[in-house]
Amino acid sequence: MSKRISRRDFFRRSGKGAAAAGAVAASTDLLGLTAEVARADRMKARQQGGRVEEIPSLCEMCFWRCGILGQVKDGELIGLRGNPEHPLSRGHLCARGNAGYLVHSDPDRLTHPLIRTGKRGEGEFRRASWDEALDLVASNMLKIRKEHGPSAMAMAPHGMSAFFMKSVLKHFSTPTFSVASFGQCRGPRIAAFKHTFGMDVGSPERLDFERTKMIVLLGSHIGENVHTSQVHAFADALDRRAELAVADPRFSVAASKADHYLPIKPGTDTALLLAWIHVLLEEDLYDRAYIAQNATGLSELRAHVKSCTPAWAARITELPEAQIRLVPRRMARAMPAVVIHPGRHVTWYGNDQQRQRAIAILMALLGAWGRPGGVFLPSRVKLGPCECPPQITPDDHFPIPGGRYPLAEDCLPAQVLLEAILTGKPRPVKGMMIYGQNVIKSWPQPERTRRALLALDFVVAVDILPTEPVLFADVVLPEAAYVERYDAPLKVGSAKTPFVALRQPLVAPPGEARGPFEIARGLALRLGEDACLPCPNVELVLERALLPLGVDLETMRARGVHRVKPGAPYLAEGRPGRFYTKTGKIELFSESLKELGVDPVPRWEPTPDPPRGSYRLLYGRSPVHSFGRSQNNPLLCEIDPVNRLWINDQEAARLGIRDGDEVEIFDSAGKSAGSIPAKVTPGIRSDCVYTVHGFGSRSRLLHRAHDRGVSDTELMLRSVPDKDTGATGMRVSWVTLRKVAPRRRWPRPLASRRPTRGRQP
Amino acid sequence: MTTYGMVIDLNRCVGCQACVAACKVQWGAPEAESRDWVVPIGPVRDSQGLVSTFYVGLCMHCDRPACVEACPSKATFKREDGVVVVDTELCIGCGVCISACPYGARYFHEQRKKVDKCDLCSSRLARGEQPACVETCITSCRHFGDLEDPKSDASLHLPGSRRLESGDARLGPNVRYLAGDRQWRLIHDRFAPPAPELSTPAWLLSRVARPLILLAIGATFLGQAVAFFTQLRRGEHPIEE
Repeated sequence: MSKRISRRDFFRRSGKGAAAAGAVAASTDLLGLTAEVARADRMKARQQGGRVEEIPSLCEMCFWRCGILGQVKDGELIGLRGNPEHPLSRGHLCARGNAGYLVHSDPDRLTHPLIRTGKRGEGEFRRASWDEALDLVASNMLKIRKEHGPSAMAMAPHGMSAFFMKSVLKHFSTPTFSVASFGQCRGPRIAAFKHTFGMDVGSPERLDFERTKMIVLLGSHIGENVHTSQVHAFADALDRRAELAVADPRFSVAASKADHYLPIKPGTDTALLLAWIHVLLEEDLYDRAYIAQNATGLSELRAHVKSCTPAWAARITELPEAQIRLVPRRMARAMPAVVIHPGRHVTWYGNDQQRQRAIAILMALLGAWGRPGGVFLPSRVKLGPCECPPQITPDDHFPIPGGRYPLAEDCLPAQVLLEAILTGKPRPVKGMMIYGQNVIKSWPQPERTRRALLALDFVVAVDILPTEPVLFADVVLPEAAYVERYDAPLKVGSAKTPFVALRQPLVAPPGEARGPFEIARGLALRLGEDACLPCPNVELVLERALLPLGVDLETMRARGVHRVKPGAPYLAEGRPGRFYTKTGKIELFSESLKELGVDPVPRWEPTPDPPRGSYRLLYGRSPVHSFGRSQNNPLLCEIDPVNRLWINDQEAARLGIRDGDEVEIFDSAGKSAGSIPAKVTPGIRSDCVYTVHGFGSRSRLLHRAHDRGVSDTELMLRSVPDKDTGATGMRVSWVTLRKVAPRRRWPRPLASRRPTRGRQP
Repeated sequence: MTTYGMVIDLNRCVGCQACVAACKVQWGAPEAESRDWVVPIGPVRDSQGLVSTFYVGLCMHCDRPACVEACPSKATFKREDGVVVVDTELCIGCGVCISACPYGARYFHEQRKKVDKCDLCSSRLARGEQPACVETCITSCRHFGDLEDPKSDASLHLPGSRRLESGDARLGPNVRYLAGDRQWRLIHDRFAPPAPELSTPAWLLSRVARPLILLAIGATFLGQAVAFFTQLRRGEHPIEE
């Protein structure tokens, strides 16, 4: 059995300590403390004394994957806290991390394999055995492959647990993967940085906040977008008086801490970046020695940005020319210790790869890549293969009509996949496995996605909760949640302290839900593709994967984290660095992009303005929610129960909307997506409105999340694919607003329900 | 001597609500209630431009707590280590302290029929741990410790810190804040404590019930004395043993 870190006896200790401190009867009297069943259980467990074990594992409420310690008492999961040994959480956890254990007791969980009995989308199912369900999936997949070829079976994965199943589908020979982390998130960034430095900035981003002197954020709302250690490092940097510049149409939390706030017109970031590059070059402020040693294409770049003056950018971005000029001068003072956050969700306007290239080039001119305070270099973390033979990639590529999206890599853009499903062109797609990805909520134009799901011959969904796509599945396979399962080991080379971490079960999954390895292998055996997962159980897979590290599974289970010797974080000063581009240098002008027919130096392209009376829909994150995954969590919904619509105060006055009024939001075709409360503030430009993504689920099987708030993607009738990567640009839709009577009484956020009795202004 | 306190650095705080979630999990406050809170304020426009901040609060563990004074059953008291606690054995759930606290740091726990509030996670302190909100805070903006100990994390952050007080309420809160002037003005304008008031039941208890009780006790003594002397005068045997 595993050796677990045992926790000191809570009750005995607290009793003693309390006595010593002078009778703290109040703090130990916890009887009947709560109505919340799960929380009551936890309290009871604590009260009864006995051992509380702390088992290390990994969070999956977002993809930062902090280290957690699961507090388990008599087989009951009673809470989580940050693992102090884990480099990405260091004992801290965000609201989601704290509340995450409640997923285990969510009454809406998928607990048994299901087979559809009603129409697709209705959510009518009957229970089935695993054998029956997996047999049905395998026979449908084999039939599709036989009749239409392997590429007719698509997969939409999201999250760590899809790893094993991806192996099986690759082995099944399908090239048809639509990956959310690329197509709706970081795709343009990955491509741009690869073509500039030969590699991406990594996830977690290798931004050297610890030593930086200046931070530049373009739309990145650190603080509202919470990645634990990054937010901590950000706060530390500000404490050390690092200068902060924030360009955002909305006065974000980060903007409220900025030395330079630039309320930029949406869609014009690339123009701002080109003007900054212009200033660095024209005023000779860039790192000349670094560029001379490490980069190519300076003269082409210089010629290209000659006309991109601050005056030119001022007209486009609607920012003061002096401010546009000031920021790069400040960057030059801090050089090379400048962090320009490249963002994570960067699929905005359809010219996103170009914007990301401009960020990369700016980093290069400041000499920030591979230098202290800029971007540190990754470390090598060697792990054994979790699949066999490792790294199978199908020889086939799903053809993209017209040779579009040359930088799409292995991710089939969502719009190409949907087109193929709906028209059969360029190739038919007849089946789809939706693995943890909410393809209805995370892709724009959900109506089109629903149509496509109805058109398929066969849909299988693997998930933990009945999200809307699950309702369209013919077969539903219930997966164990992150507190209930093993995943492939997490390998993080892009941290200052590189490490390998393990996710392990803290409690048994509810009902018949199974771990991802068991599901994948169960299907692989039936498909005759089990050669890719030859180990009979996941423990053996992990043992083999950990072999090169010199730790065994037992040790990993006790510790959770294994630190690896870091490589050199910075380039050797004064000597040319090695870059994995075609020329082996930083490519300011990219030959390889030119060959692919992509702009070799970044170019700004205007994005259309909203018509009069409409607003551009912008969206972002709440620190309390992750995508559409957390709105069914009772505690998180109590803290942040509904998304609100940020609207400029003057526009609101014109529309007769006051703060807190209910506002109905209509898409550009005039269709309502529902109504939510308004947040009226001068802290947003007048040409756009903003709300938090993830709300407004249409799945009636999610009892808490259903119809709670408004879904931003439902309002996106338009999306513009990035012309280079095919990633879906989603900040290109317009909405109109109308004040209405509240359609339901939204619970007020926990904070506002405090009986605060201060004077109101 | 120990005086536990906290200095919350609002320059670091991002309003992520991790502290609230950790506290709710730790203490299981019922839905719609919690022992601590993070209230976003703004963005609004002031004379210098846009500004926003967060009012992060919990029991202030005041030097001169109004709740202690108001509590009719002496269930609420200030411990020697400065922590203001509720003895649930003695709490009669009258709620007087709830309206007495000008910070709104107390709530009535429906299931327990008692008043509940932050006790700085006393049971965790006894185990040598930090309060749950402090441990989990993702920016480490909460500096906790013994304010009498110059080396404690809280004391190290005392310089420049402010107390949320007003002309109406100077209770000596031991939760303090580090914040910029503009941000502080936002918080102060909205959440400066009003004068601690005694609500109707409190008023009744302290102004009417208490004198009445005293009167009753006094009257009993008086009656006894009168009876005693009457007995003496009449030459009867005094009441003894």
